[in-house]
Amino acid sequence: MDDFIKITFDILSFSCIMVLVVSGLAIIASLMGIFNFAHGEFVLLGAYTVFVFRETGLPVWSGMLAAPFLVGAFGLLLEITIIKRFYKAAIAAMLATYAIGLIIRETIRGLIGGKFWAIEAPIEGVFEIGDSSFSIWRGIIIIFTIVIMSGCYLFLTKTNYGLKIRGAMENPALARACGISTNKLYAFTFAFGAALAGLAGALVVPLYSLFAELGLRFLVQGFLAVMLGGAGTFEGPVLGSAMIGAMVPGFQWLRVEIPFISYLLSPVFAEVFVFITAIIIVKFRPHGLIQKGRI
Amino acid sequence: MTKIDKPRVNDASRRSFLKGTSALAAAGWIGALTGGFVLKPDWAHAAGSIKMGIATDITGGIAPSGNANWQTAQFAAKQINDAGGILGRPIELILEDTASDPGIAVGNVRRLVERHKVDVILGGITSSMREAIKNPIVKRGKTLYIYPQLYEGQECTPHLYCTGPTPYQQCAELIPYLIKQGNKRFAMPSANYRWPQLLNVWTKRIIEEHGGEVVLEEYFPIDQVEYSATVGKIKSEKVDHVFLTIIPPGLGAFTKQLYETGFHSNGGTLSCVYYDENSVNYVAPRELEGVYSCLDYFHTVDDDFSNKALAGYNEMWPGSNYKLTAGTAATGMYRGIKLYEAGVNATNGDLDREAVSAAIDGVTNVQGMGGKFSMVPGTGHAAMNMYVAQANGGKWDIIKSANQVQPNECA
Amino acid sequence: MSQIKKKTSSFKTILQKQARVIPIVEILLLILLIVIPFFVGDYLTVIITRMLILGLLAISFELCWGYSGIMTFGQGLFFGIGGYAVALFANKADFVQLWGVIPIGLIFGMCASFLVAWLLLLGKRPPELIFIALGTLTFSYAAERLVAGWYWVGGGNGMSIFEYLRIGSFEVEPGRLFYYIVATILLLVYLASRFLVRSQFGLVLAGTRQNEKRLAFLGYKVQKFKALVFCFAGAIAGLGGGLYAHHEGFIGPGNVGIGISTMAVLYALFGGAGSLIGPIIGVLAIESISFTLSDIDAVRGYWPIILGVILLVVVTFKQDGLLGFVVTQRERIGTFGILKSTDHKSSENSQHLKNEKNDSTS
Repeated sequence: MDDFIKITFDILSFSCIMVLVVSGLAIIASLMGIFNFAHGEFVLLGAYTVFVFRETGLPVWSGMLAAPFLVGAFGLLLEITIIKRFYKAAIAAMLATYAIGLIIRETIRGLIGGKFWAIEAPIEGVFEIGDSSFSIWRGIIIIFTIVIMSGCYLFLTKTNYGLKIRGAMENPALARACGISTNKLYAFTFAFGAALAGLAGALVVPLYSLFAELGLRFLVQGFLAVMLGGAGTFEGPVLGSAMIGAMVPGFQWLRVEIPFISYLLSPVFAEVFVFITAIIIVKFRPHGLIQKGRI
Repeated sequence: MTKIDKPRVNDASRRSFLKGTSALAAAGWIGALTGGFVLKPDWAHAAGSIKMGIATDITGGIAPSGNANWQTAQFAAKQINDAGGILGRPIELILEDTASDPGIAVGNVRRLVERHKVDVILGGITSSMREAIKNPIVKRGKTLYIYPQLYEGQECTPHLYCTGPTPYQQCAELIPYLIKQGNKRFAMPSANYRWPQLLNVWTKRIIEEHGGEVVLEEYFPIDQVEYSATVGKIKSEKVDHVFLTIIPPGLGAFTKQLYETGFHSNGGTLSCVYYDENSVNYVAPRELEGVYSCLDYFHTVDDDFSNKALAGYNEMWPGSNYKLTAGTAATGMYRGIKLYEAGVNATNGDLDREAVSAAIDGVTNVQGMGGKFSMVPGTGHAAMNMYVAQANGGKWDIIKSANQVQPNECA
Repeated sequence: MSQIKKKTSSFKTILQKQARVIPIVEILLLILLIVIPFFVGDYLTVIITRMLILGLLAISFELCWGYSGIMTFGQGLFFGIGGYAVALFANKADFVQLWGVIPIGLIFGMCASFLVAWLLLLGKRPPELIFIALGTLTFSYAAERLVAGWYWVGGGNGMSIFEYLRIGSFEVEPGRLFYYIVATILLLVYLASRFLVRSQFGLVLAGTRQNEKRLAFLGYKVQKFKALVFCFAGAIAGLGGGLYAHHEGFIGPGNVGIGISTMAVLYALFGGAGSLIGPIIGVLAIESISFTLSDIDAVRGYWPIILGVILLVVVTFKQDGLLGFVVTQRERIGTFGILKSTDHKSSENSQHLKNEKNDSTS
């Protein structure tokens, strides 16, 4: 029973991390059709912001608060100068964003000295349930994710601006014909996606330490999550990232608990297995689990 | 093609460049410091300087150890140069960053061999690094290679000398002591590469010989950060002692998650044979309390030579985060430079690899950190003093010490 | 010059009239290829050999993207598999003969790419471009994680190859001989690829790139052609990987993953996609800059940033790459640029129309 609570908590917490990280990517992919290869680096920027704040003596939570705004502003700048040229060309967009990501990653690598930096969470420690202990910070991440995702959902469904965004997602030409400025929408959405990524990075960095490859870790899993869940809706990528988020620690737990499986899967095979499973699912449902047009 | 640069006398411009880059490095920007870096001595000799290549991790997961190595190398070279060099010739250090990445290291090391044409290379910290760079250095590069770090043994390549402790030296004292303390059930969470794989074979045998039992043995990718399943199992299997061979970058995540399960507060103990005074760069202090280690030197070892050397190092690098310790290979680096000095003294200045190698093979009773050391002829390894210690509030209390323990390798 | 055209092209009439600059570039590079080792020392010869091996990787990517419209972020996977296979044979089976290394690289590269093609390209519905791109990316990443965690192939350390490549009992050290071996292989691969893309098969590829749907309506099983060229490219990449492993004496997860896959893309784009000589120029350019910059201590750390900026500039402003400065759009066997979502460049290449006329018989 105890084990069950622990497994659930682990899966839930990692799923939430994935959802947080991927939501920004998903919004951009759904609305503008480009897969932002620099998304991982936005996450990294969020983590880096927290690091900078801490280095100048400010408390960690202030960095976490500032991260989404700073990264969002940076995203807006990028969009206005570079990204907007690529809306018609998905492949060129991928390459351009990869290049941007490379630049950001290497710059940060230089700034942090190429090393790993541990960052303490604002609230350290564990809470006990029965015999098991759970990290408080992971619990807080779960709560945050639920709040943020609910906020996004309400924003998309209950507000005027959200309505415009959904309209543009379904049919950009028609939206423009109705007088909605898709340019402004795209700019806002890109900045919003970047801000989400920055927030995710800031929240997650106490768990993983700050290092230059932090963004890359999530990039491929993020893409898989979006492909799996289906770009074009809100629930799709959330479902996708929840699934990927569940599979990664889930397979690890299966490995530990069921000896037969642990013969087949070492920790690293378990990770690769997630990828293969995802690709196979996407092959059979190329547009993702939740198709467009159901929001 | 440009050949060897002549050493310049009183190269003030280079020195101020160095100061500048150290300031930059201190500020965190390593752009100027990454990669090849030549440290020329400030006096010259007709025959030219002796070129030592240092190939170590200045960036990446193992950076705290690599930087300690590099600083120690500079300290040792300065000590020797200030005393007149080796047979009157100064040492010139050339640094290449192996970046904690064997793939990158191979290319950079090749530059040391083919472009700078160094006389000897010291470096490599993780066994994976050593395995990657030893071929370009020893075989293709036909250069002498001294490896300064503790490792898993079985490295018997000719012209490759190891100045760090071997599994026998580290575990022969430590494991029986742990078992005597009452630890019966052991867990071995490990990084998945050569050193833990081979070391664990060794350690498991000694544990079982002394009546202990290994209930968990797992191998993880080096950058794994999710250990919840494993630490959960450690708790449920009622493990007494964790013999840890996970290395950075996964190390910090593991120790943190283990701590959070309450392992330490429930009486569990941990040992890690590369933990030392430098480990605070990798692991939070609360996770270091009470941990055991067994190495060739700790700052609490009280002998004249070591104390003076440590003081000199601290004077050269005041306030540095990277200390002269054994777990980082810094003491092995120091030992390695002294070994090379002794070898060149024995060949009377002949820098040819075959000659120096033959001389090094028979070197005995050279002063290093933690005591004297002697090479065991024909094996490429050194006998040295070993100390079992336990972390206590940031310092390491020596529990047991053993003199001139044999390496027991390549017999 | 026209001599060479006759030897290698089946559409002599069309191409003779239009191809002008590319053959000049090719011949210049060929001459350079042959004579360079006599002018530079051993150290630089080794560096250039490495560049030539990477040229194989670049050609492999070019065949997929520039000629067939398959955006693959996973050529590194096949490169690395070839390398790992060769390394395993060398270390576990003590087999380092040159005549064996070449087929091993080719076969493993081809098998792996066949597997990937089967999973990604073939099937009931033709896959979207994005799916292929992300799919190859994922496989490349997964392979990197796999070999990084698998102890038998060295894990995160990778594998060192301790023996030199051999011909019979003669050891081939990296140096002049190795250079000429690689140069010959590169030349053969280049000529083979050139023959392929200027053949009937190549025409179909050009068609898929211009307008896939129309070609399908004409009766061609487009996916099968794509899969074929993908396998061919994969084999070449595998061969490159095998040579690389022996040349460097080392193969690691970094040679199998996203990093090197994207370098392949960068080489081709920078040099000029749409022709076979472009990627080679791209490799030479980028690797030379990288090499000279890394010798300047102050710049070494910033090189990846500069690389990123170069890529960004190329993708944004000059999709034609370096070759675009001297070669016109018309001259290349195919063109591509920022694909407009609905319309295609039907007017750009008059060759396109001529090809269609000839096509009516097949």
